[in-house]
Amino acid sequence: MNDVGPQLVRSGLTRRSFLKTATGAIALTVTGLPRTAQAQSSVSGPGYAPIPGVARERIDGFDKVTGAKIYARDYNARDMDGWPGTQWYAMFLRALTTDRVFKGVDLSALPPDLQPRKVILGDQLADGQRSPNLSLGRDCLVDGQLKAAAAASDDDDHDFDRPGAVVFDLVVRPGNQPDFLGQATALLLFDNARTYRAARTHMQFDDAAYQVYGPDVGPNPDEPRLFTPETLYVRAPDDSIAQGYFSYYTAPDFDNYKQDAAKQAEGIEDYLKAHPEFISHDFRCDMRAMDPMFMEPESGLIWYERDSKTMRVLLGTQSPDGDVADIASMYAEKGSRLDVEEVVLTSCFPGGGFGGRDSSPFSLMLALCADFADGNPVKLEYDRFEQFRVGLKRHACDLNGSLVVSPDRQIEAIKMDLTFDGGGRRNLSPYVASLSALCAGGSYVIPRVNIHAKAIHSENISGGSQRGFGGPQAFFATETALDEIAAQQGWDPLDLRMSNLLTRTDSTVVGGPVKQELRLAEMLQRTAEHPLWSDRVAIKDGYAQRGQTYGTGLAMSLQAYGTSSDGMVAAILMDDEGGFTVQSDAVDMGNGSATTLGVVIGNILGANAHTVEMGGYTLFAQTGLKLKDDLSCGEKPTWSNPHWTAKSVGSSSACLTGLHQVHVVQQCALALFAETILPAARLLWGLPDLQPDQTAWDDGHLVTDGMEPLPLRVLASFARDEGFPSGAVAHAYIQARWVSAKFETRSGTHRLELDGLAFYPADGGAAQPVWRSGTIPPPANAWREARYAWAPCVNVVGLTVDRGTGVVRIENVLSVLNAGRIHVPQLVSGQSQGGVAMALGYTLFEDMPPGMAGPADGTWNLNRYHVPRYRDVPLARRYAPGGRSQELIVMPETPGDDGQGRGIAEAVMCSIAPAVSNALRDALGVRYTSLPITPEKILKGLRA
Amino acid sequence: MTISFTVNGIPHDVPDGRGTDTLLDFLHDDLNLTGTKLCCGIGVCRACTVAVSKGPTDAPAPVISCSTPLRLLGNSHIRTVESLAEGDRLSPVQQAFLDHFSFQCGYCAPGFVMAATIFLEGLAKNPIDRADLDAAIEGALGEHICRCTGYVRYYEAVRHLALQLVGLKWGSVR
Repeated sequence: MNDVGPQLVRSGLTRRSFLKTATGAIALTVTGLPRTAQAQSSVSGPGYAPIPGVARERIDGFDKVTGAKIYARDYNARDMDGWPGTQWYAMFLRALTTDRVFKGVDLSALPPDLQPRKVILGDQLADGQRSPNLSLGRDCLVDGQLKAAAAASDDDDHDFDRPGAVVFDLVVRPGNQPDFLGQATALLLFDNARTYRAARTHMQFDDAAYQVYGPDVGPNPDEPRLFTPETLYVRAPDDSIAQGYFSYYTAPDFDNYKQDAAKQAEGIEDYLKAHPEFISHDFRCDMRAMDPMFMEPESGLIWYERDSKTMRVLLGTQSPDGDVADIASMYAEKGSRLDVEEVVLTSCFPGGGFGGRDSSPFSLMLALCADFADGNPVKLEYDRFEQFRVGLKRHACDLNGSLVVSPDRQIEAIKMDLTFDGGGRRNLSPYVASLSALCAGGSYVIPRVNIHAKAIHSENISGGSQRGFGGPQAFFATETALDEIAAQQGWDPLDLRMSNLLTRTDSTVVGGPVKQELRLAEMLQRTAEHPLWSDRVAIKDGYAQRGQTYGTGLAMSLQAYGTSSDGMVAAILMDDEGGFTVQSDAVDMGNGSATTLGVVIGNILGANAHTVEMGGYTLFAQTGLKLKDDLSCGEKPTWSNPHWTAKSVGSSSACLTGLHQVHVVQQCALALFAETILPAARLLWGLPDLQPDQTAWDDGHLVTDGMEPLPLRVLASFARDEGFPSGAVAHAYIQARWVSAKFETRSGTHRLELDGLAFYPADGGAAQPVWRSGTIPPPANAWREARYAWAPCVNVVGLTVDRGTGVVRIENVLSVLNAGRIHVPQLVSGQSQGGVAMALGYTLFEDMPPGMAGPADGTWNLNRYHVPRYRDVPLARRYAPGGRSQELIVMPETPGDDGQGRGIAEAVMCSIAPAVSNALRDALGVRYTSLPITPEKILKGLRA
Repeated sequence: MTISFTVNGIPHDVPDGRGTDTLLDFLHDDLNLTGTKLCCGIGVCRACTVAVSKGPTDAPAPVISCSTPLRLLGNSHIRTVESLAEGDRLSPVQQAFLDHFSFQCGYCAPGFVMAATIFLEGLAKNPIDRADLDAAIEGALGEHICRCTGYVRYYEAVRHLALQLVGLKWGSVR
């Protein structure tokens, strides 16, 4: 058994951070799962990864495969140390309409023995509970616009973290129209499990019997509202600008960007009109909302411990930092009925995430319950019906525009309007729309661009940051449009793409430079040489001879990962035996972050971590760094101030492991090696001038020329005796490039790609910061680049389609992926395989109507929402004619990768859907641009 | 009157009045055995699969615990995922799933573990033609839902184990 847990081990205040409130501060504390987990290490290293740098299995695998208690749903109050054994259960009634005024509840149809202990309506909530002050920031590109708008507004309600127009009451107040379907209308609390379960069963699918509404007064809102801001990317050649083009990134007068962009857009129109020889293809795509359908419906426990004024929470979340701050904010305002001095979060493994647990409103609903349970712990556990009904969705989306190509196959322009249905709560909708606008440019050089993306409020289920973050929608539009032009012109679709590829000398539709090596041409070449593509005509003929209809489709994606600026933190602790514990602010949603972070120190420190602790959002406080609002009077938020950084940490995303989290862990490892292990070796060997590059690890021993190898265990023990640091905690920040700085330490001066570093003393005290100097900040205007890191992928899909039934069968998938350095190959291919399956689901099966025709009515489950099964995906991993396979070709690492991995969580997934549409075009001669492409739509297309 | 059954070898008697309780709720609420997972609650996804046999020597069958009331389980022998490992020593199926990186979030893993265990135990007693193996695996696991890993690595693990069984390894035994 390996020890992995989302907990921190440092005791006392180092485990905490604080949320400033109107009445003081609330401490935010993270703690581990309430179980005893023993690390099991051997001389050769930890069991999951005995060989440095290599994972034999997942570090969390043992717990998961034995059914250990690791998910929030597994826990009850009786499992929690120090909690009362009593446990209440919470259930929310859900709004059934937005056209009528909610008047109240009527539980008379519920038998007397099934009545809840308490019924709470919206008008019983304090202000902070009704509409909490949420941590809505995500991406400085969007946040900057929101903050500017808030600052310019006279409206007191126009607050960045609580924009009044779009953040609605958690529980509808009687007398109000619900703002969206599924908005809570009442909280029912039961004081025992049997009554709760029986009442739930009694009430299920019969919501209308328990809620009272007034007459129809028309839709709320009567017109769609915008989740601000909108995103507008206009780009056009302009010799008056140094870079030679106008764009979001290069606009010389950024304050007037919108006005200047409008003029440039007119210029684009004039240019296109002047070239009637250009081929312009108008496109219109749409796609349904999609449920992440993570396997564990959301669940959690909460208990307000009155004596200690502590709110104790157990959750499985992708965003522990934001969630716990949001929970604290509910009880931070004057008028709060509970006096909360500390929020303690037990952070569990999420049973899947895919963005659906990122800033999920579930944590807020759970937090509400604590106030009304008379001091008892409360469990809130959605069943699958409720998860479908209110859980965050991927946005439904409409995409319209035109793609213009010259007769010599050069893309001249793209115009696209993207409208995302954000549903009820704002969540991350404008951020998703913003990234989608960038993705609309695909993998191509496009000199003229007019892309406009927006997210709107509707009555539908709230949209979230689901896997792909806008990429799947945008790539689908661009890649199917490009393919359609090729098909109509009789051009080879691969050649057309090859003629327009982005390279490191080019810039994106935002105007920002491409700084990473993309290798798109090389990837397309590998694709061209693969028999699934090169033999596609013969394969199709072969199927035709057997009476089957077959088609081949190709599509590319250039998924960005990270946001426009990212902060991350990690710590490494060394024990006296040379065993390592890695701590990270990241959460492992199953993507394997913990395993990866455990092994990437192996080649630096001589052994992999025996313990990896995730979800440590309070680690940031241990670096000593401060954000702008926390600086002392007179201190400036500039990179020359060593105490400041621009961003602490963000929500966890699977795509942030390969580059971001690995980077900070490895930089931290380099610091620990330099400060503790190398000095020990210098003394033991009597080589005071020994440099890191004169050493190497060999089978758990540090070696250098002419000296006796030193076992890691001996080095660790000696370092302890000498009083060298027992660990390090490091913070990194990236915006277009890593911020780097010099750190003067006892062992010398080290330039690291970090902006914060602290060492844990051997005596176990708090971490001691080493303040940076010589800081190299991000490039000026880097935030306007939007994104700086890319995970390119080419997908080829070969499919058969039954002309009689419209049923599609995926025969083969080829994915060519540039993932940079591969840290754990099995995890990379697993992400790819999972991405293929998920994409086939939303491309072909997963269909979710809006409004009360869909899951908002509370009757939807997996019997109606069809996700891919075993039979739906090819299972072989190597292509063979006549077989079914999904072959992944990972581009071999080059020096251009600089030893860095890429975040590839959704990279493969993003271009599967357009590849399927393109394959259907090849097979049937019909273009399908409405997802999911169901058999009914295929038959309708054939009839048209 | 009571309903009598064993769970992982331990006898349990529950009153008839609880006959409509689901096996999953009983495992969670009464026994605090939470390794068996609730996902859809309507018997579609198979995350809640346990092994049930009517006699100690009878072949176990996969049972959907979220939708099986206790009244149907009289005199049954129920095995859950908690019964398989002996301390730190995993069952062959569990170890194979680790070796193949078969799951990611892991929430579906107990259901796959139980279904694969039942399948392989049956295969050991009643070998099939090697050519039929893939179809048999699909028959055993085809309805289970995994949202993270896309089934490839579960399939590879089970196939690998099946091919280790005497008879199958060298081809048809019938």
